[in-house]
Amino acid sequence: MQTVDYDAELARAGAHVEGRWSAARFLARRYPLGAIGAAIMAVFVFAALFAEFITIYDPLATNSALSLAPPSAVHWMGADNFGRDVYSRIVYGARISLAVGIGATALGCLFGVALGLLSGYLLGWVDLVVQRLIDILQALPLLVLALVMSAALGPSLQNTIVAIAIPLIPYVARVIRANTLALRELPFVEAARAIGMSDLRIAMRHVLPNTLAPLIVLATAQLGSAILTEAALSFLGLGIPEPFPSWGRMLSESAAEYVRTAPWLVIFPGIAISLVVFGTNLLGDAARDLLDPRQRS
Amino acid sequence: MLVIHRSVVLATALLLGMSVIDAAFAQKQGGILKMYHRDSPASASIHEEATYSTNIPFMGVFNNLVMYKQDVAQNSLESIVPDLATSWSWNADHTKLTFKLRDGVKWHDGKPFTANDVKCTFDMLMGKSSAKFRKNPRKNWYENVTDVAVNGDFEATFSLKRPQPALLALLASGYTPVYPCHVSPAEMRTHPIGTGPFKFVEFKANESIKLTRNPDYWKKGRPFLDGIEFTIIPNRSTAILAFISGKFDMTFPTEVSIPLLKDVKSQAPQAVCKVVPTNVSTNLIVNRDSPPFDNPDLRMAMAMTLDRKAFVDILFEGQADIGGTMLPPPQGVWGLPPEILKTIPGYGPDVKKNRDEARKLMQKAGYGPNKRLKVKVSTRNIPVYRDPAVILIDQLKEIYIDGELDVVETANWFSKVARKDYAIGLNLTGNAVDDPDQAFYENYACGSERNYTKYCNRDLEKLFDQQSMEPDMDKRKKLVWEIDKKLQEDVARPIIFHIHAGTCWQPYVKGVTVMVNSSYNGYRYEDVWLDK
Amino acid sequence: MTAYLVRRFLLMLLTLAGISVIVFVLLRIVPGNIVDILFDAAGFVDPADKARLEAELGLDKSILVQYASWIGGLLRGDLGFSYVSEKPALAEILPRIPITARLAGLALVFSILIGVPLGVISAVKQNTGLDYALRVLSLSGLSMPAFWLGLLILMAFVAAFGSIPIYSDAPKSFWDSLVMYSVPAAAVGFRSSALIMRLTRSSMLEVLRQDFIRTARSKGASENSINYHHALRNAMLPVVTVIGIEAAFLIGGLIVTETVFNIPGVARFLVEAIRWRDYPIVQNLVMFIAVIVVVINFLVDLLYAALDPRIKYSD
Repeated sequence: MQTVDYDAELARAGAHVEGRWSAARFLARRYPLGAIGAAIMAVFVFAALFAEFITIYDPLATNSALSLAPPSAVHWMGADNFGRDVYSRIVYGARISLAVGIGATALGCLFGVALGLLSGYLLGWVDLVVQRLIDILQALPLLVLALVMSAALGPSLQNTIVAIAIPLIPYVARVIRANTLALRELPFVEAARAIGMSDLRIAMRHVLPNTLAPLIVLATAQLGSAILTEAALSFLGLGIPEPFPSWGRMLSESAAEYVRTAPWLVIFPGIAISLVVFGTNLLGDAARDLLDPRQRS
Repeated sequence: MLVIHRSVVLATALLLGMSVIDAAFAQKQGGILKMYHRDSPASASIHEEATYSTNIPFMGVFNNLVMYKQDVAQNSLESIVPDLATSWSWNADHTKLTFKLRDGVKWHDGKPFTANDVKCTFDMLMGKSSAKFRKNPRKNWYENVTDVAVNGDFEATFSLKRPQPALLALLASGYTPVYPCHVSPAEMRTHPIGTGPFKFVEFKANESIKLTRNPDYWKKGRPFLDGIEFTIIPNRSTAILAFISGKFDMTFPTEVSIPLLKDVKSQAPQAVCKVVPTNVSTNLIVNRDSPPFDNPDLRMAMAMTLDRKAFVDILFEGQADIGGTMLPPPQGVWGLPPEILKTIPGYGPDVKKNRDEARKLMQKAGYGPNKRLKVKVSTRNIPVYRDPAVILIDQLKEIYIDGELDVVETANWFSKVARKDYAIGLNLTGNAVDDPDQAFYENYACGSERNYTKYCNRDLEKLFDQQSMEPDMDKRKKLVWEIDKKLQEDVARPIIFHIHAGTCWQPYVKGVTVMVNSSYNGYRYEDVWLDK
Repeated sequence: MTAYLVRRFLLMLLTLAGISVIVFVLLRIVPGNIVDILFDAAGFVDPADKARLEAELGLDKSILVQYASWIGGLLRGDLGFSYVSEKPALAEILPRIPITARLAGLALVFSILIGVPLGVISAVKQNTGLDYALRVLSLSGLSMPAFWLGLLILMAFVAAFGSIPIYSDAPKSFWDSLVMYSVPAAAVGFRSSALIMRLTRSSMLEVLRQDFIRTARSKGASENSINYHHALRNAMLPVVTVIGIEAAFLIGGLIVTETVFNIPGVARFLVEAIRWRDYPIVQNLVMFIAVIVVVINFLVDLLYAALDPRIKYSD
C-alpha cells in the first residue's frame, strides 16, 4: 500500500496540470466512461437540488381526471393511478434516492472507518472484537440484514438510511483495517511514533488521510448498492413509505397492478434507478482506476 | 305453537326448480378448478380468522346449519336455505330457534354428524367449552344467545335473551360453519375436517391449497368438480398475467381491481368478469377524545371536505358506491336511499359549497390559511388502505389541514388504534353479512371492541335493539335508515365509499355466482362445473 | 497448518454464536409479535386470549430463557414449530431449500457461462470498442434492480408468447421445469455474470502483464494459446473465490426474484416469515444462511491457502 499524491499521479499519467478545469478535462479524456458517469450523476444531483424549478406539477397532488394518463406533451412520463405526474415524482424521487444513497453510504463509511481505524491501529483485543463484529455482520446477506433492520426500525426515511448503513459498515471497516495495518508499518508513521505522537493523533493525522483513496473507491461502489437496496426494500413494502416518491416504491405499486395497462409506470422509475446506479458505477470504476495504484496499467 | 318460517317453503320451491334446471343443462362431472390465491392465510380454521383469505378456500370443506342460497346474488333473510339443518322454526315470542338436523351425514374422517357437533361449535364460539380457539373474532355475534341445547341426535335449539330474527343471517354466513366435536381447534387450523363437498388435502404456506371431491357428500350428485387447487400468488400482476395466459380457470374472488379488469378485458376478451360491491367500506376513524378532534366542529369540517366522488373516480374509475354505514341499494338491502343520503352534511353534490362551510368551521376554531393544522393520518401499510389516505391528505389541504401519512405495519396497527394513538385513521370495515345487527353492534355499540372510536350514544343504542327485534322488514328498514342517518350526522365514523371489485373466470367455468352484498358467503362451489 | 485450521474453525463457531445473538435480539426489537398480528387480523384483542396464546408460544418467558431454549433445541436438532402453520420449522424449511438451491445453482452456472468468456474477450481486446461495449453491458447488469429486470422479462414473455412461466410443484415435462427455473435464474444470474465478467477481465489483465506470459510470448506461443492456456488458468483463482462468495450472496437477488416470479423457495419464505414475526422460522433460516456463508468463506480460505503458496497460515 502506498500513499497517493494526486497531482503527481496526474502528472505521471501525462497530464499538464495547470488548474482544476484542465485537470477535469484531462480526466474526462482519460476516463471517458467515468466522465459519462459524472455527467449522469450531475444531472440527478441537479434534479434533486432544483426539483421545484424543473417541474410544473406537485408530485403529491392527486387528480382524478388524469388517473393513468399515458405519456403526453404535458405529462412527459404519464400519470399514475392517483393522477400524479410521473415526471415530477421521478425528479423529486431523485432526492429520496440520493438522500438514502449518500446518507447510508456516509453513515456506513463513518462507522466503518472508525471501526477499521480502531481495529487496525490499536490491534489487541479491540481488533479481535471488531473483527468478530465484522465477521458477524458480513455473514448475513446485505438485503436480509437490511430487511430485518428496517422491519425493526419501522418505515421512514431516516430509519431506511440506518437500516442500509449498518450492513455497509463491515465492508468499509474491513478495507480500512487492511489499509491501516499496511500503513502503520510505513516509515512516516513509525517516525511519528518515535517523536512521541499519541496513537489517536497518529491515526487521525497520518493514517486517516492516507486511507482516503480506498475509501472513495469503496464509497462510490457502495453508493449504487445502497440505492439498489433502498429500491428493493421499498419494492418489498418496507423502506420509504407513501406518499414520498421513492422510485422503488413507485415500482412496487405499479408492478402489482399496472404492468400491462400502464407500462410507463414500470418503465420510467426502473430506468431512473438503473441510470443513477449506472452513473455511480461508472464513476466508481473511474475512481478506482485513478486512485488505486494496483489497478493502473 | 311452532311457526314454520316462510323461507323454508320458498327454499323448497327453489330447490325443486333447481333440479329441473339441472336436468336441462346437464352439468359435466369432473375436472379440477384451478384458481390463484391472493395471500397465504394464517390458518385453515374459518372460525379463527376474520378474512376471506381463509373463507374462500375452506368454505367448501364445511356445511353450515343454514346458508345463503349459493346461486342468489343478493344475500337476505329471504335467500337463506337449509344446509345441515333440514328446517328451522321459531317459538311464538321469537326467543327460541329450533333446527331439525340432517340424518346420515358423515364427517370427512367417517364419524357421524350429530346435534352434539352443533352444540360444541357454538359453545366454543361463545367461549363456554374447555377447548378454546386461539382467537375468536366473532364471539360478539352470539351475545344474545344464552344457550344451545340438543334434543336427541338430530335437533338443536338456540335460546335467546331477546328476539333476534337476524340471528339466522349470521348463521348463514360463510363464517359460520359447523365444526366437529372430536377434532381439536389446533387440528382444525392445520387440517380441517368438515362435512362439506370438498375434503382438505393439503395447505402449503405461501405455495398452495388443495381440496379434493368428497365422494360421500350427503347432497347426491354434488360436487361436480373433482377438486379445487389454489396457487398462492401475492403479486397481483403476476397472478393476472397467469390468468390471462390461461393457467387458471378463475381469479381469486373480488381481487381484480378496476385497472386490472381492463387488462383482462383487452388480453383475454373471452373471460367472464363480474364487478360487484364487496360490502367493505373505507372510512375514517377520528380520535374524538383528544385535541384537535375533540372539537365537534373540526370533525364536522373534516366530514364536509370529503369529495367522495373524487375518491371513487380515482380509485375505481367511478365504479364504487357512496353511502352510509349500510351498503347502498340496489345491491345492499339496508342502505340509505339517495334522497335521504344527500340531505346529510358533506354528501351534497356541491363540493365547493361544502368546503366553504368546512372552512368556516375551521376558522371558527381558529385556523386559517396562515394558521394551518398539522395532523398525522395513520393507516396500515397495505395499498387498499394507503391509496385512499393519499387522496384524503390531498383533500384536507383544502381546509387548512396539513396531513402527514403515518404508515403503520400490520403488526402494530391494532395496538395503536386501541391505545387511541392517532388523530385520524383511515380504516376498512368489512361486513360479513349485509345485516344491520352485525354492522351496528360491532362498530357503534358502546363498549364493543371493534368500536375503535369509542363513539357511544345510549339513545341510539336503544334503537339498535329495537330494529334488531323488529320482525317486519319494512318497519325495520325505516329504523335502520334513521340510525344510519344519525351516525353520519354525528360523524361517528365518516364513510368515504363502498368498495367494488371484480372476479373473472374462463367461459367454460359454469355455475359461479358472485354475491353482490357480501364477500364472505358465496364459496361453497358445490354447483360449479367445467364445460370442457 | 493444523493449528491454523483449528483456530479458523473456532473463530467460525464464535461468529455463528454472535450471529445467533444478533438475530435473536433484532427480532425481539421488531415491534409487534405473532400474537399481535394474529389478533390484528381478527380486528380486536381479548387480553385473556392474547395472554393465553403468548404463554402457549412461550413468548411470555424472559428473553434469556427464550434464547436458551432456542439454542438448546438447535443443538438437539429441534428447530421448534412455526408459529403460523404450527408445523415443525424443519418440515417448513427443508422442502423449500432444493427449490432455491436449484434456482441459485442455475443462476450461478448461467453467470459463469456468460461472465467468464466475456471477461476474457474484454481483457484480450482491452480498450477496443468491443471492450467498452462489454464493460458498459456488465455495468448495466450491476445497475439494474433484479426485480425490475424480472418484471421486464415477464412483460417480454407475455408480449412474445402470451404466457408466463409459473411455478408448479409438478411440472409436466423436463422442458417445462427448465423454463420454470431458467427464466428467473437468468434474471438473478445477470447481475452475477456482470460481476464475474468484471473480475475475470481485471484478473486477466493483471496476469497478462506478468513475466511468464512475456516469456511464453517470446518463446513464440500463439496468442490464443497464451490467452486461453496460460493466462486464463492463472486468472481464475480470484474469480473462483468470488464465485464462492457470490453463491451465498445470491440470496439478496433471490428474495426479490422469488417474489416477482412467485417461486415458493426459502428466500421469499424468509420475507413472509419476517412479516409474520414467525421467530422460529426466521431465526433458523437466518442461521442456516449464515452457516452457508461462513462455511463457504472457510472453504474459500482453505482453497486459497492450498492453491496460493504465498499465503501464510496466520490470521
